[in-house]
Amino acid sequence: MRACVSILFALATAMLAPRSVAAQSWPDGPVVLELGGAGRLVLGAEASVAVGEHDELAFFNYTDYEHNSLRMVRLALSARWQPAKRIAILGDLRSENFETPTPYALYVRIHPMDNVPLDIQAGRIPPVFGRFARQVYAAQNPLIGYPLAYQYLTSLRADAIPATPADLIRMRGRGWLADYPIGNTQEAQGLPVISAFRFDTGVQARYAPGRFDVAASVTVGTLSNPRVGDDNGGRQLAMRAGVRPIPGLIAGVSLARGAWLSDGVLPPAGDGDAEYRQQAVGIDAEYSRDRWLVRGEMIRSTWTLPSITSVLTARTGFVEGRVRVHPRMFVAGRLDQLDFSRLTGDGADQTWDAPVTRVEGGGGWYFRRYLVGKIAVQHNWRDGGRVRERTFVSAQLLYWF
Amino acid sequence: MGTLLGCLAWTVGLVGAWIAFAPAHLNHPSHVPTSPPHETHAAASVIRGRVSFAQPLPAAEARPNVGELGMPRGRDAADRRRAIVYLEEAPRGAFEDLAGARARINQVNEQFVPRVLAITTGTTVDFPNSDRIYHNVFSLSKPRTFDLGRYAAGMSRAVRFDRPGIVRVFCDIHSHMSAWILVFNHPFFATTDADGRFAIPNVPAGSYSLAVWHETLPGETRRISVPETGSPIEVDFTLGR
Repeated sequence: MRACVSILFALATAMLAPRSVAAQSWPDGPVVLELGGAGRLVLGAEASVAVGEHDELAFFNYTDYEHNSLRMVRLALSARWQPAKRIAILGDLRSENFETPTPYALYVRIHPMDNVPLDIQAGRIPPVFGRFARQVYAAQNPLIGYPLAYQYLTSLRADAIPATPADLIRMRGRGWLADYPIGNTQEAQGLPVISAFRFDTGVQARYAPGRFDVAASVTVGTLSNPRVGDDNGGRQLAMRAGVRPIPGLIAGVSLARGAWLSDGVLPPAGDGDAEYRQQAVGIDAEYSRDRWLVRGEMIRSTWTLPSITSVLTARTGFVEGRVRVHPRMFVAGRLDQLDFSRLTGDGADQTWDAPVTRVEGGGGWYFRRYLVGKIAVQHNWRDGGRVRERTFVSAQLLYWF
Repeated sequence: MGTLLGCLAWTVGLVGAWIAFAPAHLNHPSHVPTSPPHETHAAASVIRGRVSFAQPLPAAEARPNVGELGMPRGRDAADRRRAIVYLEEAPRGAFEDLAGARARINQVNEQFVPRVLAITTGTTVDFPNSDRIYHNVFSLSKPRTFDLGRYAAGMSRAVRFDRPGIVRVFCDIHSHMSAWILVFNHPFFATTDADGRFAIPNVPAGSYSLAVWHETLPGETRRISVPETGSPIEVDFTLGR
């Protein structure tokens, strides 16, 4: 069944491509289908193949226990159906490593008034917090790896929690496969600070007059754990306020707060009314000029747990830059850090998860406007876990239309 | 087994897509022909006519981006009706006096205006940015590869085109922006107007191949004879049949 779906998915992509080619050498853009009185359907696709070294010991680049972002084949089909001027329905279907395609995004977008820069989106929606998680296509990433904040798996789980600080400290550097005594006792991957690999479900609004924009959302999951269905009756509120003071400069501040633990791990009575929250604050900025682009984010996220009195904090930030040294070639780099607050347990005073530092550098070559090859070298340091330092070399071929 | 089938499917899909592109690529002229002339020496004439389309042209749309938080800003619709009509074989002497001219492609409401431009070799094209946002004009085409970098509203940068051929122009920031520049080493070409009409003046008498190029539809070529009397030649094309 899985293979059949993969076959259909791959063939659909191949069949779509020539329709947009017409007399040209390469697609001019997405496939556009006029649906008569039912509006217009626009289809796009992206295929990327990343190859790199195995990493079954350190799991630095894993997005869950089976997927390594440096060794991944990904195919995405995206669609925008606009049945009327002010309404659009958007969707994105993805398959990673030939697995059954899953909906990454599916939502309705409404622009209620012509003269008011207000948009409302509902469904499986993009996050309003920060910036990187909305760069959903590989072509928007100057490197192959992801920032730690959006990919690295901490040891926290929403469906299983430690009974004592010692349980948590025992899992330092083991976010790729953590286990705890409360809740789901099976081993499973932990959560990133913010997930760049799933969209949350809810409703959001954006108001963007001139140089300012404000967006806010209410969703069932949290930054760490975006969800399709609700698992705790709580809601996450998130917002971002942005400004474009001068051409080329974009800056923003983001806030989010939401219940993150699933009902299965919450205390059964008495303390049951307490809400255990993930709260985050972040700042982001991007500046571009001539052939340079520099951007970065800083995020502070906290989680509360019923079994640990201390608030667990993660501080993370990255800065990345890209410069185009030739019309066909660019070089890029990223400096990235993820740090955690200290916790006392087992007689030790140490961070509740192992801090990680990552440096990645690389470059890309445009074979065509929509065909790019990238190569990157990434080095990771981790203050814990069974592998504390590791270098990865990876390459990626990327095509989109 | 399932993974193997999946691998096979992806390989077939990607190779299929690749093959699908290849023939179209071969059909596309990589340079504008400049073979020797076949004219006789007599009065010049005008070749005029109309290029029409047998079917509605596909709209140019931005790629769906599910990461956006709202409707994209209002963009001008791309004008895809323009075609270029040109002589494949230029008259003798047509290459001698191509003084460096100046042309312009503006950037307005996230579109290149005009979307299609025909120029002679030696022409310098200005790319002013009339938007309130940055643009980054570049091309990877063999006749002229360039990258103008990001520049703000009110600024303009220029590129000189010295080799004949077809140059595809993009914006690095806005992937839905694109334009075509056809560079000829003779002056016998014309861009159609909004009604599809064109006129190529001052064509010496002789026998020529008259070709039409369009950005999405296969071109056509007609053999024509320009009489020594200097009377106009009428040629109509219908593309996309």
